[in-house]
Amino acid sequence: MNVLRSLPWTPLASASLEHCSDAALRGFSTILVERRDLADGTTGRFHGLLHSGGRYAVKDPSAARECIAENRILRVTAADCVEDTGGLFVSTPWDDPEYGDQFLEGCRATGVPAEEIPVAEALRREPRVNPGIRRAFLVPDAALDPWKLVWGCARSAEEHGARILPYHRVLDLEVDGERVVGAHVRSERGGEEFRIHATVVINAAGAWAGQIAELAHCTVNVRAGMGLMIAMNHRLVHMCVNRCKRPADGDILLPLRTACVIGTTDVFVPDPDQTEIRQDDIDLLLDEGEKLVPGFRQARALHAWAGVRPLFEDTAKVAETRDVTRSHALLDHSSREGVAGFLTITGGKTTTFRLMAEAAVDAACEQLGGLRPCTTAQVPLAGSESHTLYQISHRLAAREPVPQSEEIICECELITRSGLEDTIKQRDTTSLDDIRRLLRLAMGPCQGGFCIYRAAGILHQGGQVDQAGANQTLLDFLEERWKGVHPILHGDQLRQARLDDWIFQGILDVEHLPV
Amino acid sequence: MSYDTVVVGAGLAGLTAALRLSERGQRVLVVARGVGATHLAPATVDVLGYLGDTQVASPAASVPVLISSSPNHPYAHVPAEQLETSLEWFCTKTAALGYAGNLDENLLLPTALGVPKPSALAPRSMSGGDLRAGGRFVFVGLKGFKDFHPTLIADNLNHARLPNPIEARALELVPPSSRRGDLSGRVIAGGFDTEDLIDWLAGALEDRVDPDERIGVPAVLGLRSGDATWQELEKRLQRKVFEVATLPPSVPGIRLSDVLSSALRTAGARIVLGVRAVGARAKGGRIEAVEVVNATGTVSYPVSSVVLASGGFASGGLELDSFGATRETVFGLPLIGLPNTDRVRFAPHYFDAQPLATAGVATDDQLRPVDASGSPVYENLHAAGAILGGATPWKEKSGTGTSVATGYAAAEAILTPAPTPVSEAVR
Repeated sequence: MNVLRSLPWTPLASASLEHCSDAALRGFSTILVERRDLADGTTGRFHGLLHSGGRYAVKDPSAARECIAENRILRVTAADCVEDTGGLFVSTPWDDPEYGDQFLEGCRATGVPAEEIPVAEALRREPRVNPGIRRAFLVPDAALDPWKLVWGCARSAEEHGARILPYHRVLDLEVDGERVVGAHVRSERGGEEFRIHATVVINAAGAWAGQIAELAHCTVNVRAGMGLMIAMNHRLVHMCVNRCKRPADGDILLPLRTACVIGTTDVFVPDPDQTEIRQDDIDLLLDEGEKLVPGFRQARALHAWAGVRPLFEDTAKVAETRDVTRSHALLDHSSREGVAGFLTITGGKTTTFRLMAEAAVDAACEQLGGLRPCTTAQVPLAGSESHTLYQISHRLAAREPVPQSEEIICECELITRSGLEDTIKQRDTTSLDDIRRLLRLAMGPCQGGFCIYRAAGILHQGGQVDQAGANQTLLDFLEERWKGVHPILHGDQLRQARLDDWIFQGILDVEHLPV
Repeated sequence: MSYDTVVVGAGLAGLTAALRLSERGQRVLVVARGVGATHLAPATVDVLGYLGDTQVASPAASVPVLISSSPNHPYAHVPAEQLETSLEWFCTKTAALGYAGNLDENLLLPTALGVPKPSALAPRSMSGGDLRAGGRFVFVGLKGFKDFHPTLIADNLNHARLPNPIEARALELVPPSSRRGDLSGRVIAGGFDTEDLIDWLAGALEDRVDPDERIGVPAVLGLRSGDATWQELEKRLQRKVFEVATLPPSVPGIRLSDVLSSALRTAGARIVLGVRAVGARAKGGRIEAVEVVNATGTVSYPVSSVVLASGGFASGGLELDSFGATRETVFGLPLIGLPNTDRVRFAPHYFDAQPLATAGVATDDQLRPVDASGSPVYENLHAAGAILGGATPWKEKSGTGTSVATGYAAAEAILTPAPTPVSEAVR
């Protein structure tokens, strides 16, 4: 502990809140550095499926076991982020119905509860699903809200004394002899540079882990696997619906908040920051969606986005075998390259994020002079203390008794004026896009057509920004939004987009704002 | 029941064409899926606000420039004198709203973001916001009305480039208890129609505004009573008052739609909303009947002429499917302005020139949709408004001007057919 006092921070270079949260809970003085906003990376861009393990039951039994264990834990500790939708595996006319037997056997062997139900019962529960399905199985999949999860971890970490620095880039890691002793970082907003001294640095930068490792002259081979997802305007399904076959592209369709999401693809990209959405991949997802839900191509697609999976590829020995499976890898660079005080945790999936953090912080404990027990399997995240699972109707239930008490700024997502104003103050931000990730502002069918003018006005009125700043964040938001909108623009969503053009350009004339 | 002309669409272009035809003695049926985009738009008549990046001071001088650089622009098919005639006609038909302005000089009216926007005409309840002369302005917000942000408007106007200096400030009023909560413009406007909100507003402003300040309020001064409320407010306050258009639904847009619809009914036309025109029965290059789907099935209306004013993508007149194919949704007409690829890809930056921005039907000089060879698809089908290709009206600020001019010109083409017969197009 003397060491910790004189070198006050245990910085976790880049991106992974869960590790920060875990370390903070164990009483370490902890700082997290993220180059952009929290939830702007891979976790915030995942499809939202809290796996039961069914997807891996045949192909990757150890991953399946991890998933069901973590699924059970998160329903308790991250209850506010989990909607208990249930999961359904179906054999469509394109899938071999006999795979269902392997699936059931795999689930039995890995402890994933699975139950075959009659096709008629499955179609009663999910009337839009292809009536040609031949088998159907229930599993305890659930919908996991990635943004709430990230904010829950952040608040928990901060409540336990951690410091979180979003929009801070790691410029360099400081190596003293054979030890990493800190990081040199720069604020991406203010531009100031400073040093953080630390006893242990955990590299949890996901697909960017190789770039961070290089700063300490270490090698981590992570390939970036880009996955594409499309959010549809309605919950076309009530449960997480999976194709009952070996995992492939576009075979998951799940309800997430007010939308539903189809995913995903898997394309290697040389640079995790270059994620161009290709038309072929959009078509692939729409065609696969059509197999699960006939008429999918006529349904309204809201938004497309890509996340980048870290796929760990390494022939060198991984540090620890107890918790490490094919799905994630913990690397101790003292045994790999002789660099102490530096750990990399990579690979993995969102469902097992807590387990990854536990493994990484356990390893950090050893370097910090002895194990402190991990409590993240028992202690609820901030916001989940009541252990009440999230329900889609929560925001409506809060509004219904007092429908006229105040303005609703975003009708799609039922965001109130006071909710928006409080968030602006708490977050101390000038960016509408940051607010979007906190509140889901502008995430509904109109994609900000109405609420963004209102939010810009409120941001300005509250004194957070001057008129130039308000105009700039409004224009930035329109540009950023377009990235996700234009790849899937067709049908009724093009109609909506054109109405938005009329609002922003025809009525408000945003192109001629004084910036 | 037979009609001389069926008009498809009840927006500004459709209502203009229908009213012009009706007042000249035609039996007219308007069929539309809904009330039309007039309900969504500010009621200003924007003829031309921008040529590229250059702000247009005089539409009369700049429209010919636009036509010479964009020969497919809808204005290119409106006879030169008809642009002005159509606006004069429009002003007489909407006398209840008192349109001010002309084709020679654009007004510069503040938007709800505080951007000076050029418009040729505006109802007199809005035209007092003209910024060109400069001076002092106060913008008035209503607590609980989320669609109007006077502080941002005033700050932006104080930073705007204008011909004469202005000084703008913001003021927020707390409405009486009956008008609190989550207010829409329509709800507040209803208050001016049915309650004495004007007493409250006049009283609240009286001591808080200097004698030389012009008062900008959100465009919510009543639906039926809008113009009267505005006049009364100016009289009581002895100051210039003006409405500022904001997000849809647009109260002044609804007023305009109501004035035109009611003139149309008075002139003897029939308006049927909630139905969908789905095609034509044609023979020898002429439409003999328009097929309309209503709640009970498909009805066939025999006609002499048809005006297609179904709007662009925003109104459902055009559609892009998920495979990248664009179609005109009523008659399946040929389109211009489509990208040369088999798949539409939008430009990656929002403010870039976007494919499909100028998509729509091309016409001859009688506003008849033409095919690739330039021949009319049907000799008795005319098109007006946002269905016409060749323009980017939300960027040019030319949407309502195009609707009035082409709606009027389409009606004139029907009333006074061109002397030379067109070659027989067999389809």
